[in-house]
Amino acid sequence: MTEDRWSAAQVLALAPDAAAARAGQGLASAAVWSATGTSGRAVWGRCQGSRATPYQVVAELDGPAYRCSCPSRKSPCKHVLGLLLLWSAGTVPPADEPDWLPEATAPRQRARTGELADPEAARQRAARRADRVAAGVIELDSWLTDQVRRGLSGLEQQGYTELGRLAARMVDAQAPGLAGSLRRAAATVGRGHGWPGDLLQELAMVHLATAAHARLDELPAPLAETVRSRIGRTVPTASVLTGGERLTDDWLVLGQVVEIDERLTARRLWLRGTTTGRPALVLSFAPAGQSLDAPAGAPGAVVPATLSFYPGAVPLRALVTPAEEAPSYGARWAAGTVTDALTGYAEALAADPWLERWPVLLGDVRPARYGDGWALVDAAGNGLPLSDGTDPWPLLSVGAGAGLTVAGEWNDRYGLRPMTCWDGDRAVVLP
Amino acid sequence: MTGWEELVAAALLGTDRRPPGVDSLPGAVRERLDADADPARLLLDAAALSATYRRAGRPALRDLEPLPAAPADHRPAPRTGASRGLAGMLEGRHRTVLPEWLAVLTDRGWRAPPEHLPALADLARTRPELRELVSRAAGPRAAWLAAANPDWSFLAEHEHEPVDQPDDEVWLHGTPPQRRRWLTGTRRRDPDAAREALAASWPTESATDRADLLTLLAQGLSAADEEFLEAVLDDRARAVRFAAASLLQRLPGSAYQHRMTERVRGCLTVREHVLEVSLPPAFDESMRRDCLDPNPPRGTGERAWWLRQLVEAAPLASYELGPELLDLRVDGYDAGQLRAALATAVVREGSARWALALLEHGPLPVERIAKLVAVLPPADQAAAVAGLRKAGVRTAEQFTLVVSALPAPWPADLATAILDLLSQATIDDTWSKLASAAARATPYEVLTHPITGKPPGEEYTWHRRLIETLTFRRAMYEEL
Repeated sequence: MTEDRWSAAQVLALAPDAAAARAGQGLASAAVWSATGTSGRAVWGRCQGSRATPYQVVAELDGPAYRCSCPSRKSPCKHVLGLLLLWSAGTVPPADEPDWLPEATAPRQRARTGELADPEAARQRAARRADRVAAGVIELDSWLTDQVRRGLSGLEQQGYTELGRLAARMVDAQAPGLAGSLRRAAATVGRGHGWPGDLLQELAMVHLATAAHARLDELPAPLAETVRSRIGRTVPTASVLTGGERLTDDWLVLGQVVEIDERLTARRLWLRGTTTGRPALVLSFAPAGQSLDAPAGAPGAVVPATLSFYPGAVPLRALVTPAEEAPSYGARWAAGTVTDALTGYAEALAADPWLERWPVLLGDVRPARYGDGWALVDAAGNGLPLSDGTDPWPLLSVGAGAGLTVAGEWNDRYGLRPMTCWDGDRAVVLP
Repeated sequence: MTGWEELVAAALLGTDRRPPGVDSLPGAVRERLDADADPARLLLDAAALSATYRRAGRPALRDLEPLPAAPADHRPAPRTGASRGLAGMLEGRHRTVLPEWLAVLTDRGWRAPPEHLPALADLARTRPELRELVSRAAGPRAAWLAAANPDWSFLAEHEHEPVDQPDDEVWLHGTPPQRRRWLTGTRRRDPDAAREALAASWPTESATDRADLLTLLAQGLSAADEEFLEAVLDDRARAVRFAAASLLQRLPGSAYQHRMTERVRGCLTVREHVLEVSLPPAFDESMRRDCLDPNPPRGTGERAWWLRQLVEAAPLASYELGPELLDLRVDGYDAGQLRAALATAVVREGSARWALALLEHGPLPVERIAKLVAVLPPADQAAAVAGLRKAGVRTAEQFTLVVSALPAPWPADLATAILDLLSQATIDDTWSKLASAAARATPYEVLTHPITGKPPGEEYTWHRRLIETLTFRRAMYEEL
């Protein structure tokens, strides 16, 4: 059986805390490991720690379940995370399961090696996983309604901790998407006098996901996929490449946003089909301190390629298979108005209400002061505010008041985050 | 209370105590709700629908006032490699090269990549010597950026004024920088008109403005200015009088110069290869009016101090012997002090003949040596630097001080000589400052000096820094 390897981001999402994630990254080096192997069902290895005897480390991917002979009570411990990162990087060789494996993972009841390819067993594992997620989602849903029944004011004191605990519980239940939403909800508690409204909005969107999950079977297939991915199921790369919607076009690289936190560096690369007008998002991740893979093209490049889209009600995320022709620069393509951007955003939200960011390409926009910040105004006088977090000056200086073409990420709450603007034919990457 | 606020209020208190009111929600939201549902679920459903309804329905901003556009900059943008070099300097790599980079950029007719102008302007805020360079590189964007961000208002001060439209209103009612610009421009076109404008407003100017504006007359200085400047020697403010005196010192044939010549000649007599010095016997009112200072600094005799000022202020034409004066034995005054005082006059008048003679005659303070070398024609500078040991320059530090004071870029011969010297120097800190000066001041044609072909070594020594900077500058000239 071939199981798709997880990404480094998925592995790090399992970490019980930031310290474990950091320590795990420190151990993701072949130098400290021996006798590593993977059977597709499990990954194992020996890690030379501070003691004379190496720790025996096993991660069963189905579940997942972890065993490590180290004394840490964290689960997964740093050794398991290190091993999984090593595996995620593709440096753990396939091998037969060693004799000590059953012992290490006892007392769990396991299938024997010979039965791994059994489709019936695979189906059962998938069913077990689905049950686990369903149980977690139901638990979360009842917690949510309970909070609303008793009043969110009760969360003002302990809400941050409580939501954090719940997020960890969702990670255990293999619903990391919900965990992320809960952490975002936790961040709103007590922040600014409008926090109850912000918290209600975040929790309501979590509720929308749990409620939708309860009736997955009734939903149209693409929407069901969106719900599953919001809950946190990841679609294996291989199945996207083989079974996903494929679209060949010359893709304009609108720009990129790189976000760095203590565990992870993430890049969002936004594309737009020059003939189809189709937006697309290519995600890349690397553990903190390591560099990302090379992007499909520099901002402003037009890249001939076939994109394979992940399933969903608004298929945005995609994998790139470049064509043989080289990327070109300075080609002409149509930019839109503010109304085009907002209409596209509204249509996308109607299909996927959890959507956070939407790529926009605005033509002939000029800067105007808006409150303490800035906005971009198109020829028809319609404007979008720039997000607070962006340094507007490079963009303002390129245009110096003249009409510009600007690509950015739009979110109604935070505003427009400009990524790229064009100085004549030259694409300028904005900070 | 709007529908959303009602939902928030109910959620805060809890639906057990306060059932959610959904009646004021938009119809499109209401019709999707199941009014018979459990109140908590109803509230969460309503909140999710309302939130998405609001997000999707956010209207565009209206009634915004776009900023006026700057005039177009028709200069082309530099090549990618050059822009990358600039980005690197803004991040701190080879930043000493930045002024040169900006000068070459604009001289060759490129505009600065506009996305880097904000960072350049921020840098020029704390480094005023960059302001004019940044302003020129910004072109028509300079005034636009200055208007958009008050932190960068200095960018507009260096703006090139249209020469054919002098606006007298600016002179009468403008800000001090605007008035300086007006006076500078007018002086360039019509020196007399500028002086007359200044003379007309003179009684109403503050002492600070008088001193400040007067220095602008240095450009286009002529005999026509003498009457005005001579009158200013009687000004109430000391700084203003000194500014006038400093201009009169530079005005050949002025009465001021004649008075100084008379005074200095009264103190010097040549007899049988001996220069006999008699110190001025008294300090009179006319000396005070000519901005000489009666009070010596500590450790200097009163009359010796007066003589020193006379020699510093008098024109070189006062000495009929010319530089041969220096061959005479000096009696009655310290010969070294005399040479140092003469050096001040030589630097002011920029006389290469005198400078060469002074350098050949031995010990002088290092700072003055540096200024004298700078006066020499480029072709003589290398030889002068080679002969510096004679002039009393002994250590690497002093050597560095002299050549660093020379304006960059250095003459090719000099730069080659210095790089030759550095090629053979030991890698210790003694030469590190000279290396930084050479890295900055080596002219374009010497950037291929053999030292750049040497392996820079692994350690971060001055040697490696020098090679990296020279290589970076060579790339700059190729890319721009």
